[in-house]
Amino acid sequence: MPLLINQQLVEHDSWQRADEAADFSSAAIPAQVDLLVSWDQWQRARDVLLARGGRLGVLIPNDLDLAQLAGDLPRLALVAIDFPSFADGRGFSLARLLRQRYGFTGQVRASGDVTWDRLRFMQRCGFDAMEIDAKRFTPAMLQAFSEISVSYQGAADGIAPLYQH
Amino acid sequence: MYQYTEQDQKLIEQRVEQFRDQTGRFLAGEIPDEEYRILRLQNGLYIQRHAPMLRVGINYGLLSSTQLRALAEVSRKYDKNYAHFTTRQNVQFNWPALEQVPDILADLAKVQMHAIQTSGSCIRSVSSDHLAGVVADEVEDPRPWAEIIRQWAALHPEFAYLPRKFKIAVTASGQDRAATQVHDIGVHLVKNAAGEVGFEILVGGGLGRTPMIGSRIRAFLPQQDLLSYLEAILRVYNLLGRRDNKYKARIKILVASLGADAFRDKVEAEWQAIRDSDLRLPQAEIDRVKGFFPQPAYDSAAAADTSYAEKLAAERDFAVWIERNTVDHKIPGYRAVTLAIKDYLKAPGDLTDVQMDAVADLADRYNFGEVRTTHIQNMVFAHIHQADLYPLWQALTELGLARPVVGTINDMICCPGLDFCSLANAETLGVAAKVQEHFNDLDYLYDLGDIELKMSGCINACAHHHVGHIGILGVDKKGESYYQLTLGGSAAEDASLGKVLGKSIPQADVPAALEKILATYVEQRSEGERFIETVRRVGLDPFKEKVYASAH
Repeated sequence: MPLLINQQLVEHDSWQRADEAADFSSAAIPAQVDLLVSWDQWQRARDVLLARGGRLGVLIPNDLDLAQLAGDLPRLALVAIDFPSFADGRGFSLARLLRQRYGFTGQVRASGDVTWDRLRFMQRCGFDAMEIDAKRFTPAMLQAFSEISVSYQGAADGIAPLYQH
Repeated sequence: MYQYTEQDQKLIEQRVEQFRDQTGRFLAGEIPDEEYRILRLQNGLYIQRHAPMLRVGINYGLLSSTQLRALAEVSRKYDKNYAHFTTRQNVQFNWPALEQVPDILADLAKVQMHAIQTSGSCIRSVSSDHLAGVVADEVEDPRPWAEIIRQWAALHPEFAYLPRKFKIAVTASGQDRAATQVHDIGVHLVKNAAGEVGFEILVGGGLGRTPMIGSRIRAFLPQQDLLSYLEAILRVYNLLGRRDNKYKARIKILVASLGADAFRDKVEAEWQAIRDSDLRLPQAEIDRVKGFFPQPAYDSAAAADTSYAEKLAAERDFAVWIERNTVDHKIPGYRAVTLAIKDYLKAPGDLTDVQMDAVADLADRYNFGEVRTTHIQNMVFAHIHQADLYPLWQALTELGLARPVVGTINDMICCPGLDFCSLANAETLGVAAKVQEHFNDLDYLYDLGDIELKMSGCINACAHHHVGHIGILGVDKKGESYYQLTLGGSAAEDASLGKVLGKSIPQADVPAALEKILATYVEQRSEGERFIETVRRVGLDPFKEKVYASAH
């Protein structure tokens, strides 16, 4: 699946999605890979996963109360936020809260229904990585980040509100 | 009025090109229908019964004559030589071609107009008092605050995909002419005990399927905290508002289900976390925006003019028009004039290109080049020198914009209904014409006095029927248009929701039913009592008995 990081297409995604059926109680957990687990898996096997060696990421549903994850954020290298549909904008708030409320500095990745016309808003809200469905990917979509160059408001991209310029 | 900076201008021009690109990709089959639907709605474009409909924003109802001429030109070049002014002070074109919409928007961008967030599940254009700046009892001019909110909301990256549409209205007077209590957020400028100006904040008002009056969640908000407080409300709503059922997705449902107190607690907690951020408004920015709304150069000797009194005494029709269609101004010798866009038997809120150009010329000549739109679907010239009232009346009479019916049942609000709107269940424009025909005796209208009649063609309530003194809701009964009547609603400072009178009636019976309602009022009223006051005092029963008597 094409992946954008910092507004560029990257060739290689270091993150491996854990098999949904994976049984983390066994010794079969891959040790050194960057492992991305689902919220369910995280809840089931948090301690085992944390005891493992490699970097960890969690894919969260967009109705999650982030307080449930806050204490573990320092141990995570990636939080992926699911976008279940084009119309559902909860993920934008979650990303801002992760960055601005909880100070998360790892990768924040948009996953699910992620297409051209929301990339700029995602980037402004603190997503630095976006997974694009191969069927919807086109190299031209990178222009999404520069279509609008004026921002009235501050967000999580370090740009100050226009009234502070 | 506010003038765009280079940055403001760049943003709307870039938005036009972005939309052109989105439309091009859609037409090339690269964006699915459902996705493009959301994108086009965020830019004011509906696909309607006959053609697309483009809604262009008139922020807080303020237009320059140049902008009005540009709207006239758009209606000539791309549409059928007219435009429809809406209940949220915006303007709609009913017949543009999809492919040409980007060109229309590019033309409008040249006069600092746009369609950003005039529709869709996002923060809509901000509305305000059409008498802002000219009424005596105002705390201060609300429009700079509406502009500050507009800028904050424009292309806000976090709130473009809300559960449902989100409407904000700002007022600063004891009289509410912007229906703030039935908005998602109502912002009232108020003074606290220390004499400081800040805001009272209402949340969770709305019409539609589940009409509700907003709840006050903050009595006084300091000025510099306006945007952080709005952002806190929007964030709570974005995260917690229902998305499983579009009829339960407005913020009013969230406020009602949590309870206003619990909702406020969530907002206040969120606000405490972001209050001391870059959302705090710098005084320099407040001053900058206020600087765009100076008082016009009024003639200090205006009241010394004697021609006005002479004309008033000499011409009854002029005096009647002054009485019905104009109101006092804070400056002696000036009046604010309503242009009634309720021409006889024409669709309420519609103006032709010729009328728009003529109104723009009159605005240049008599009103400092300014035109305002109202949520009653009229226009206002807010600064008319008393010596100019007579020639202005003559000119407006020629244009069909001086019918002295403002505030009467002939000054009704009406949505486009089944003739144009794909959501409508029933016809409205034909009924409006029948009502006008039936009640065209001006002396009778004046005797009835102030009555707000509001008619919507479906439960979405674009014409605010729930808050009409008399509300008419069109419903579909086996393919025929029927009408349900409500009485006792108000969108003003005494906001209330109308109550249903009884079972819906066929179209042909509407004028007769109205006549019975009005006759009951005349019978029941005490000296000097307005229609709404009588309804509140005597209740619905006397009206019900009269209207449904023949059915027994």
